[in-house]
Amino acid sequence: MASHGAGAAAGSDAAPAEVSVVGQTNPSLYLPRTSAHHSWPSSTGAATVSWNYPLDNQSQDAIYYDPQRDVSVPGSNENVASSAPHNVQPSMDTENATHFHVPYSSSLQHGYSPAEYANYYYNYPQTTNDSSVQQGGANQHSGAAHQPLTSFQNSGSYVGPTSNTYYNAGGHQTAPGYGTSSYFYQNNTWNGGSSENSYTQTQSYQNYQSSNTNAVQHSVSVPTNSFLYQQQYNQWPHYYNHTVPNPAGDPVGNSNTVANTTSSYSCPSIQPPPPGTTSWKSNSSSSVAPPIQASGAREPQNQYNNQAVQTHTPVLENHYVNQEPGNPRSQNHYASQTPACPQNNVNLNPVQQSNNGDQQKTVFVTPETSNENKVQVPRIAPGFSMVIPKSEKKILGADLAKKPTYVSVLMLKNGTDARSLPFSLRNYATRNFNHCKDEAQRAACQSMIEEIKNKAIADGTLLTKNWDTEPLLPLLGSVATIKETSSANNSSPSVPSSTFTHRRRLKTRWEPVVEDKVMDKVEPIKGFANGNTHSNLEAKNIMSNSWDSRKVLQSHQAPAIKVSQRRAKKQKMSSYSGLMQNGNASSDSDKDQDLTKYYASATALANSPEEKKRREHRSKRFEKNLNSSSKSKNSAASKDAIANVHARKAVSALLTRSCEDGTSLAVEDMDWDALTVKGTCQEIEKQYLRLTSAPDPATVRPEHVLEKALSMVETSQKNYLYKCDQLKSIRQDLTVQRIQDELTVKVYETHARLAMQAGDLPEYNQCQSQLKRLYIEGIKGCYFEFSAYNLLCVMLHSNNKRDLLSSLASLSKEAKQNEAVKHALAVHSAVSSGNYVQFFKLYKQAPNLNSCLMDLYVERMRFEAVKCMSKSYRPTVPVGYVGEILGFLRTNSEASEECEIWLKAHGAILSVDNSGDLQLDTKASAATLYMPEPENAVAHGDASLAVNDFLART
Amino acid sequence: MAPYLSMGEAHRRIADYLSRVADSISSSDGAALASLLAVSSAPPSTPLSDALSAFPDFPRLAADRYPHLSDLLPTLLRAIHSHSLIRFADAYSSFEKAANAFLQEFRNWETPWAMEAMHTVALEIRLLAEKADRELATSGKNPDKLQAAGSFLMKVFGALAVKGPKRIGALYVTCQLFKIYFRLGTVHLCRSVIRSIETARNFDFEDFPVKDKVTYMYYTGRLEVFNENFLVADQKLTYALMHCNPQYEANLRRILKFLVPVKLSIGVLPRITLLERYNLLEYADVVTSLKRGDLRLLRQALERHEDQFLKSGVYLVLEKLELQVYQRLVKKIHIIQRQKEPAKAHQIKLEVVVKALKWLEIDMDVDEVECIMACLIYKNLIKGYFAHKSKVLVLSKQDPFPKLNGKPV
Repeated sequence: MASHGAGAAAGSDAAPAEVSVVGQTNPSLYLPRTSAHHSWPSSTGAATVSWNYPLDNQSQDAIYYDPQRDVSVPGSNENVASSAPHNVQPSMDTENATHFHVPYSSSLQHGYSPAEYANYYYNYPQTTNDSSVQQGGANQHSGAAHQPLTSFQNSGSYVGPTSNTYYNAGGHQTAPGYGTSSYFYQNNTWNGGSSENSYTQTQSYQNYQSSNTNAVQHSVSVPTNSFLYQQQYNQWPHYYNHTVPNPAGDPVGNSNTVANTTSSYSCPSIQPPPPGTTSWKSNSSSSVAPPIQASGAREPQNQYNNQAVQTHTPVLENHYVNQEPGNPRSQNHYASQTPACPQNNVNLNPVQQSNNGDQQKTVFVTPETSNENKVQVPRIAPGFSMVIPKSEKKILGADLAKKPTYVSVLMLKNGTDARSLPFSLRNYATRNFNHCKDEAQRAACQSMIEEIKNKAIADGTLLTKNWDTEPLLPLLGSVATIKETSSANNSSPSVPSSTFTHRRRLKTRWEPVVEDKVMDKVEPIKGFANGNTHSNLEAKNIMSNSWDSRKVLQSHQAPAIKVSQRRAKKQKMSSYSGLMQNGNASSDSDKDQDLTKYYASATALANSPEEKKRREHRSKRFEKNLNSSSKSKNSAASKDAIANVHARKAVSALLTRSCEDGTSLAVEDMDWDALTVKGTCQEIEKQYLRLTSAPDPATVRPEHVLEKALSMVETSQKNYLYKCDQLKSIRQDLTVQRIQDELTVKVYETHARLAMQAGDLPEYNQCQSQLKRLYIEGIKGCYFEFSAYNLLCVMLHSNNKRDLLSSLASLSKEAKQNEAVKHALAVHSAVSSGNYVQFFKLYKQAPNLNSCLMDLYVERMRFEAVKCMSKSYRPTVPVGYVGEILGFLRTNSEASEECEIWLKAHGAILSVDNSGDLQLDTKASAATLYMPEPENAVAHGDASLAVNDFLART
Repeated sequence: MAPYLSMGEAHRRIADYLSRVADSISSSDGAALASLLAVSSAPPSTPLSDALSAFPDFPRLAADRYPHLSDLLPTLLRAIHSHSLIRFADAYSSFEKAANAFLQEFRNWETPWAMEAMHTVALEIRLLAEKADRELATSGKNPDKLQAAGSFLMKVFGALAVKGPKRIGALYVTCQLFKIYFRLGTVHLCRSVIRSIETARNFDFEDFPVKDKVTYMYYTGRLEVFNENFLVADQKLTYALMHCNPQYEANLRRILKFLVPVKLSIGVLPRITLLERYNLLEYADVVTSLKRGDLRLLRQALERHEDQFLKSGVYLVLEKLELQVYQRLVKKIHIIQRQKEPAKAHQIKLEVVVKALKWLEIDMDVDEVECIMACLIYKNLIKGYFAHKSKVLVLSKQDPFPKLNGKPV
């Protein structure tokens, strides 16, 4: 335990020693472990995640299947996978082969083979891509990091992804919609935790100094986490459901990955340490599972189904726990990265990772640290060192692992972290190590502990958790450990970044990160931040997945969780605060009781018949998906496209879901900023298409392009339909980007004017209502002009007196002095008193486009007037006079001609008097006047949809 | 500040209040219960509210002592407490919970003994919501409590507007809803409630309490004013006026505020004394202009009271009086002309009318005046015809200026 306080090197040395000592005691504790998972949502979660990764590597192809697992984990796997696929795909696509695994990161392959499913889950991949790309940016900053990539096959692809990134980012943004906010929170927490680490350990480091702030934030963010978490949970199911139906079988891929982890995990534990295995089994509820899994590990491919079905339980439990904390994703990353963090000093795997990182990212890591790491690695886990370095190199090439490594290395350097750890946690680590039978297990165990610890830090429960009562970790096979490390590397990319990103996060989340990356070579942090954003999303996804599958479980487990929380609280109150400062040991009392409790609840859960049924069902579902997915291996490009589509779908699904949920997140609480798309499209012309999914940034034009588009429309010679279409697309782009400024007003004003001129009242009304809102918000525009239009519209085209009253009442004194408004008011009085003469005078004098709105009322007004005249005038009225006062053409002769036609069309009876002037015979006309059907009437009432016009449309 | 209260005393007061509530429920004493539920009328410091401040654990006390009312009492106490602390938004939220619990209980009571209490709840929730919205608005938050109160009252209405003895209380709730909707400007929501009240065959409208009927008629009359349905509006507002308790002058004034314009639009002018008595002098000039045919005065009156008229919603009604003023003007011209040259009494030259309008400083050209004359004929305000050629308005020899007699223009 003392070693914690010591430097990183010392810590690492001490760890093995501890393991040997503790290993013997542990077996008995094994059972509790599983239950423990339930109880500590956060810490366990992290541990689980890390396990999964290793397992994945081992099982590689075989284990893919744990459906439940997949739900929770997939996010991370996918992320990894996605990032990997993008870069690496060309070579790898067809084969999932194990061979590749070694060179690349194992996790990469997992993701990537699943990636072929190209389906729904692609969202994640996309996200991942983003992050990866971004990270790449970050790497570039550092300089060294990037190079590995170039050496890699994918190097070329790396640059390319940028466009993808944009795209993906778009999908992302939209999709998480609601979830985003929660995401952030999680990240915060998480980051906070990580930042804390870095803070304590690496204050000296330049980049990380910012992390101090993070640490501070940490406390705040923590409470939010759980809350948000649930929301995500809710949202997820939707998402999940969507995915399931897809024939492409993305879910399968995901599930596979997940399954792999789980199965592999269980296998190792089962085989090497029999006692441990048994305990595990009980938890998982399927006694048969362990053996199968074990075999699976050896013969990965065969075990698909078996594992999926049987392994479920354990995985579920673990995940469940993870999710609760809300940071599953982060945990994963964390875990992978954490190893590097020397807080416990026990890092077997971590060290290796960090070494790798050092090798490639010389910039970040100081030579000393790297040396230390290298030395340690062979010592601790001789078997791993050979394999891992290679894979890591490749991985690093992929950029994923870089950041984490980098972070971890720094931490190692300082080695101060151990000091900050509670004594009881160290105790707990020791216990776990003692329990380990061999080096591999110890290594695995260590990494798990790291993860748990990090998780706890992230959750802020490091000091409050009762480590003494935490169940021991299950044991791993040595192979699993290796995989774990490698996978951890792969998956981890986002984690480190998150540490630094807090502050930026709010802004960066959805913003086009790419720009930042590319631009700011000086600020690696920025790049990281971006990466974080994306990763956060992924994390969320993962979490939500797991939740979904475990709905049933949740309820069961809830009590256990409660208990644990309560206990944690208690401890907070009493011993732990003291611990923090004094570093004293905490009390071990009650430990046994609690453990048994947990254990009992966990078993009950796993064994419930419904749960079994569910699992079976789910596994079948995934099988199907898997089959279909194998067919769907396409080119990377098409994959991307599909992925985008699906991502957006998923997003919208999420949105709707959260809408339905309502309770979890009120609309007004939503962080819409987070959902806002930032367009990247440079095309000036764009056809309007009503969105059926989340907007894609690649097809959305940024503001400066929209300005050009607007001026293009204004100067265009094309017809109204074209302009309307263009303006609608501009409006759409403005809306999805939530641009509300003078440009927006201008666009709506332009459109409203055009619509008025074309007599398109519905479109005009849309614009008018938007303008009303925008003006109220204080955005400058032609306010008076449009209040006049509004008045005219209300008085002439709606019959709602209340609207008119409120429109009148809302006019300010200045507005009433405005010419256009005055004109509109005059029109109002003319209409209300039936003064058609005044009306048509005003019609001729109308400022702006007031006449356009009056145009639409002219026909009615004329008809009223003629009716009035035929009743009140006797015996005749000259048609010339009628034409004059009813606003027909100005010159009398033409006016009378036109008026004659109009009068005849409306059933008036004309006669010629002695002097030869045409007269309206009022008495005769009074009975015969009628309103003719408009000639250009269309059946559906929308002239713009007339066939001819439609066909003429260009 | 409240004087210091010992825990014991606070406990005693709270317990006393709780027992009174519980007793009134168990003894089905609606009046007593109603008085206990009145939250918003309480002064900031009452014995009970002081006790609640001194005994912060009151929700548990209430829940423990009366578990069967555990949904109602703790939230009710909380509402009282928050209200005494001038935290109206909190008070509203608590009271809404209590009201929901009460409504739940009320549904289960077969007899309408608690109708009075239910009405108190309906009133209280509206008053609290208004207070809460004022509070929210001043603190820059979204004032949505009144809307929430509206949806709660809709629930109450649903519970009352059923067959059976409880229906008699439905009109009261309807009126509370009207008040909310009018305040929120969502009067279209009134329609469904009105339909439910007016289409019920198994319950005669006259069986409702008078005060509710008056209120109901007042609001539906106002709605008809909006729709410019002057005959119906007249009918409803007159009903309200006739049945309103004459002691409540404020209510009479409210009714008259709408009834006067409605009456004007159907050609019935009030005495100035009436306007004076009920302080409705904003209509005085309008009435005078109608009597004199003084278009200028009408326009001035409208301009002077524009904001007020727009707000109450009678502006458009008054604006339409213009034609009646024209009619009056032509009538006066006709009377003068008859005295001057009886032979041509029925032929009014257009230029005379134009000149008269000029004297009123109203600038209208011949065409416009001609148009107005045509309109007057068209709208049956003048009997006769207009000869365009000679620009003469020819009046009918019989009753050239028919009275509206209760028909709108």
